[in-house]
Amino acid sequence: MLYLATTSVSDSEIHNLNLNLKESNSVGTLTKLPSTAKNGAKFSGTEVSVSISKSLDDLLAEVTCFLQKVQFSCLSADSTNDFSNYKEISVNYSFPWHFMQMILLKVPKVVMELLVGGDDSLGSQIGSRILVIEGSSVYSPVESIKCLKLGLKDYVRKHQTRFSVGENLKVGTGVANSSGSSQGNSQVVEAVVIISEMSELVPSSCIREQDMKTEVLYFEDFVSCSIAQSSLDALTNINWKSYGLALRSIANHDGSVMLEWENLLPDFHIHIAIHCYHRQVKQWVAENSLPDRNLVRKAVKCALDDLKENNQGVLLSRRALKMCDYAPDLAKTLAQLILSSNDLNFQEECCSLLGVQSQEVNMDNVGNCIREKIISVIGLNDRNSQKNKEAPTFLFEDDCFQKEHFMEEEYHEGEEAYNFLDL
Amino acid sequence: MGELSRSTIFFSDQHLCYADILSPSQVRARIEVAVLNFLKALSSNSPSISDLSLISRNSSNSRVSRGLLTGDSWIFLSHSFCTRSLTKENSAKSFIRVWKVMEICYQVLVQEKRVTQRELYYKLLCDSPDYFTSQLQVNRTIQDLVALLRCSRYSLGIMASSRGAIAGRLLLQEPDKEVVDCSTCGSSGYAISGDLELLGKLTMGTDARYIIMVEKHAVFQRLAEDRVFNQIPCILITAKGFPDIATRFLLHRMCKMFPNLLVLGLVDWNPAGLAILCTFKFGSIGMGLEAYRYACNIKWLGLRKDDINQLIPKECLVPLKPRDLQIAKSLMSSEILQDSYKEEVAAMVQSGRRAEIEALYCHGYDYLVKFLATKIVQANYL
Repeated sequence: MLYLATTSVSDSEIHNLNLNLKESNSVGTLTKLPSTAKNGAKFSGTEVSVSISKSLDDLLAEVTCFLQKVQFSCLSADSTNDFSNYKEISVNYSFPWHFMQMILLKVPKVVMELLVGGDDSLGSQIGSRILVIEGSSVYSPVESIKCLKLGLKDYVRKHQTRFSVGENLKVGTGVANSSGSSQGNSQVVEAVVIISEMSELVPSSCIREQDMKTEVLYFEDFVSCSIAQSSLDALTNINWKSYGLALRSIANHDGSVMLEWENLLPDFHIHIAIHCYHRQVKQWVAENSLPDRNLVRKAVKCALDDLKENNQGVLLSRRALKMCDYAPDLAKTLAQLILSSNDLNFQEECCSLLGVQSQEVNMDNVGNCIREKIISVIGLNDRNSQKNKEAPTFLFEDDCFQKEHFMEEEYHEGEEAYNFLDL
Repeated sequence: MGELSRSTIFFSDQHLCYADILSPSQVRARIEVAVLNFLKALSSNSPSISDLSLISRNSSNSRVSRGLLTGDSWIFLSHSFCTRSLTKENSAKSFIRVWKVMEICYQVLVQEKRVTQRELYYKLLCDSPDYFTSQLQVNRTIQDLVALLRCSRYSLGIMASSRGAIAGRLLLQEPDKEVVDCSTCGSSGYAISGDLELLGKLTMGTDARYIIMVEKHAVFQRLAEDRVFNQIPCILITAKGFPDIATRFLLHRMCKMFPNLLVLGLVDWNPAGLAILCTFKFGSIGMGLEAYRYACNIKWLGLRKDDINQLIPKECLVPLKPRDLQIAKSLMSSEILQDSYKEEVAAMVQSGRRAEIEALYCHGYDYLVKFLATKIVQANYL
């Protein structure tokens, strides 16, 4: 049984609710209890009481696990009910159980009190902690996607191994929303993808099997929960190959989703968080509509694209990676050609196009510069390739016949039909 | 429309694609433009990695030119293109290969040297073993570069192989050198240089009435040793098999200088032999941007099906190989081949047999000379 007492600043009474979790369905039965009057006082808050027959240690382990994943928004003391005025709180958690803090938004006037009581041989004990709020809000106003992003970054940092060195997280975010019903209740899906890379000094023996997997953190309406089937389908239908990823399997263990990858580099980890919610919650019972599969897919794809766009060389498709393999040889060939010239004007013109200063002209500089440009163009065109198919650029554009009689041929090594005049 | 435009007397010059014969500095300039264009595209506001568009060297891009007055025909290439692109998985390596050959040719030209295809092959094999694995691949890449820059292979600083030989009633003089009498060169004859510039500067004089192109070196040697040119006023020339550009170049030059000389071909009776004759006659597709210049009106003296029927014992005939049948098929489907040639090919295929020129020796070692003389006198050639 779960008891809820909640009120917002604009409410005139405290709403009391009862959630019976013993029911067989996953949602449980929510019963509205008589409200309590506030008598004109202005405050907001939520009190949740749970009574469970379990050992305290088990309870705390479960609650801690739950709270590790929770990122939710509270109304600030002076905001309206429109989710647009969050302030963010970052949280630390750690063992032992009597020292626990939670992930929250940073709201100056909001505190959380955790009361844990249990029976033991010495009679009932009640332990209470007023939780410490860290710092003050730096991000204001902040959309929930940014909360999700910061929350996942925090989570990833906490889970990084002892070998991780410094801040080397690459983040991408994506939001997709439906057009909304006549009641103005539109569905929003937010996705955050983070890539973390360990330092190069990690011995391979220290790599754990779970490093090859991604646990998808899934939230619905600001609460961590089991993934909906439609969202699971969406994850399966994403074209991971265009991001250079090969999905081996996707497993759903009691609502917890694990993506297993093939051929992932040992120092390369992917973290994904998805949050589906409704933009306006009119009633306490959330609308029973499942997250739209297309929205989930779109949001995750946006996040992957965002990550790719802002981080050169990351999540390149297999085709782009193969092209990058050729870049050093091509760059070296061009550099050698340029530097073997006895025409200084030609050399100068090449270097000016590359942005290499005349006093720095040497094989390494010129070669590296060309190589980096080639790789950057490959990355750029890899991102754009799905958006628009551009006409290829040719080396010599001035031949007027070219466009009229262009006949694209596939190049086949040794496959040409014999012609006696092919001698 | 397709058929009409492929075989045309008029306007062929508009369709003609050719490789210029350029000086080293001009070729270097073209290469420099290529590099600058590539870098400009790489550094532009909407950057890209340029594709290389090359004139296609295949039969679908080949055209036949028929001479109006002379009846001469030759093959040339038109303006269809194929692409080598880094963005396409199956042409990425060949794309890189073109740039690598371009780099080496540029350096050769800067150093004012000349290299052979063989030398180039070994250099590339050592420098870039991941990209070059065979001579054929190197040769094809060189042709790609010719097709990209539209300049002749020789202009790129690559010498043709010195494969051919010449003997007989011909006086040759290289600039500032002694006159060479090719009738006194012995059975191996005078070696034809791979340097086209040198060949172009040769002064020549002759009192011959015929030029006889001989397919095989062994037959050439036999004829030179027997001094056939003392009995038949002729010049002997051989490419020792597949006709290289230098030999074709020299033969063409001789035809131009001595237009009254009749050019006759002596090849084995098999499709490959006829193909060799046709390469001298029409040019080739593989080097189609250049070879059209060196076609000459050579006539087929022998061996032909009548010779086989009348002169060659059945024991001397051997079965055709699968490769022969492939070549035969290609010859039959070619639009440039005249009907009389196609009839001969049909006879080859039908009999399933082929014969070498040497089969004539069953009548005696001096029979070949008699054979040639008889055929010439009877004007028995196609």
